Amino acid sequence: MLEIKNISKIYGEGPAKVVALNNVSLRVNEGDFIAIMGPSGSGKSTLLNIIGGLDYPSRGEVILDGERIDNLGENDFVDIRRGEIAYVFQEYHLLSSLTALENVMLPLTFCGAEKGEEQALEILRRVGLAGRAEHKPSQLSGGEQQRVAIARALVNSPSLILADEPTGNMDQKMGREILDLFHQLNKDGRSIIMVTHAPEIAKQAKEIIVLQDGQIVDKISQQGGEQ
Amino acid sequence: MKLYQMVVKDVIRRKKRVLYASLGVVIGVTTIVAVLTIALAAEANIYGQIEKYGANLMVMPAISDIDIGLGGLSLGTLAIGENYISEDKLPEIRRITDGKIREALGIEDEGNIATIAPKLYMNTKVNGTSVIVVGVDPQEEHKLKTWWRVSEGRYLEGPDKALVGATAAELLELNVGDTITLNGREITITGILEETGSNEDYQVFVPIETAQKAFNKEGLVSSIDVRALCSACPTADIASSINENIPGVRAVAVKQIAETEMGMMEKISKFLLALAGITLAVGCFGVVNTMMTSVHERIKDIGIMKAVGASRNQIIKIFLYEAIIIGVAGGFFGYVAGTLLAYIVGPLVFKGVAVTYVPQYFLPSLVLATFIAVIATVYPAFRASKIKVADSFRSL
Repeated sequence: MLEIKNISKIYGEGPAKVVALNNVSLRVNEGDFIAIMGPSGSGKSTLLNIIGGLDYPSRGEVILDGERIDNLGENDFVDIRRGEIAYVFQEYHLLSSLTALENVMLPLTFCGAEKGEEQALEILRRVGLAGRAEHKPSQLSGGEQQRVAIARALVNSPSLILADEPTGNMDQKMGREILDLFHQLNKDGRSIIMVTHAPEIAKQAKEIIVLQDGQIVDKISQQGGEQ
Repeated sequence: MKLYQMVVKDVIRRKKRVLYASLGVVIGVTTIVAVLTIALAAEANIYGQIEKYGANLMVMPAISDIDIGLGGLSLGTLAIGENYISEDKLPEIRRITDGKIREALGIEDEGNIATIAPKLYMNTKVNGTSVIVVGVDPQEEHKLKTWWRVSEGRYLEGPDKALVGATAAELLELNVGDTITLNGREITITGILEETGSNEDYQVFVPIETAQKAFNKEGLVSSIDVRALCSACPTADIASSINENIPGVRAVAVKQIAETEMGMMEKISKFLLALAGITLAVGCFGVVNTMMTSVHERIKDIGIMKAVGASRNQIIKIFLYEAIIIGVAGGFFGYVAGTLLAYIVGPLVFKGVAVTYVPQYFLPSLVLATFIAVIATVYPAFRASKIKVADSFRSL
């Protein structure tokens, strides 16, 4: 469903030039659960941002369902963000002035849906936060906030979920809860790409891609992942 | 949930931040409304001060001196015409003057507008000293000579009473309560004027009827001072109209006074306009500044909204709705605060000025505040909406 071909990303110019990604190619099929691993600065987040159109590659192509999306303009990308791809960030990135429920409803609002409360509540229930719907992000724990963020990512039923260190700010127990949630989503048929620097988290994925200095140095397939 | 519902909820919850953002609007509108309200009140006040210049139109008997000559030999001049104007002409003069003023100002007021002060000048002797006795209409004269202050006694208030100029009183050794005879008629002195520095100090003022009876000039006046109450009245127009329509009189616009007044008025108007303009510019700048800061602070929010599916148009709309809320609220509070400020500061700046609130400023306040808030928001929001999502997160 998604293919990236010979992607390079270069920041800056001249002596300040930094090569974040160097000729990276990758294929993501339906139902994949890929963990991208690597030390800090290896280009993991940059790769995820380019896949999701949050950033543009300096060279190379991103192909989603047979169509190039790396050269799309802002407005064309909106449609992809509204259905195909959704993000979960390490810092959750919830709007602090809105309640958990309203944050989950946000993608529906941008799609032009007038209601959507029921739908959002249903998804909050799925992530185990039905009772916290009216809480503001500041009144929720890190794990709860991340689950709100995941609920927000799910509300438009995307086929691909991109997660940048989704458990990075959590203790192990909470991290496990979040990962269990990802496994369930994966079972439901959604593809997941997750960036992490922790091997024990990466082991949960079906495939591990190891990045170093902007290049893929290893691909490890682990059938089914460790449940 | 619709977009505007989300914005309203958001604005209500972020009350403090929104209030801070609207502070620039409030301060801007407050300043503008306060300055303009005070200026409007002061304008009337300043014009009132200008009124004190006195008459700006004089009507005199039409006397013409004709040179009588025989060959190259001059035989002197011959004065033709009357030395006095008949009182009968006063209503006609008033009709013409008030008519012209109404026309100029576009008013339909029925009452008297201009001050028309007839005078009868007589040179006579009081206690053996030559003085000029001036018969005046006490009410009209009082309106005309706003600078007159009575130092002793009272102002003219009945027949056979006299008001004496300061120097005349000193030279003639006159006090309140003394009596003098004018051409055989007994007059009681009821008041002495403060020094004015003009030849009025040497004159004796009596009611015009008293002067007419004393000097057997019933129905006659020497000249008429006309003061149009409005400062921008067309005095030259009035003068020519009187000259055309009333025979036997010559009306002259006192150009110097008229021109000075017009000049001052123009300067005051220009000054107030400049003041309002500067205030407007400064106010707008403040608004633009706070609104831009507020948009900039929310770049991360913009990134989040884009990441979950907001289009650029939606981002701009969100800020537009917010700007409208801020603008309307800011304009409202700015109008109220500006009016209050004018009530407090106005009297401190211009003594005795009566500040009144100006309802006509209300709607423009809202419109201006909203307009500026929208302009100041939409441009930075438009630019902010261009930022790549990844950059918006990095920028923090």
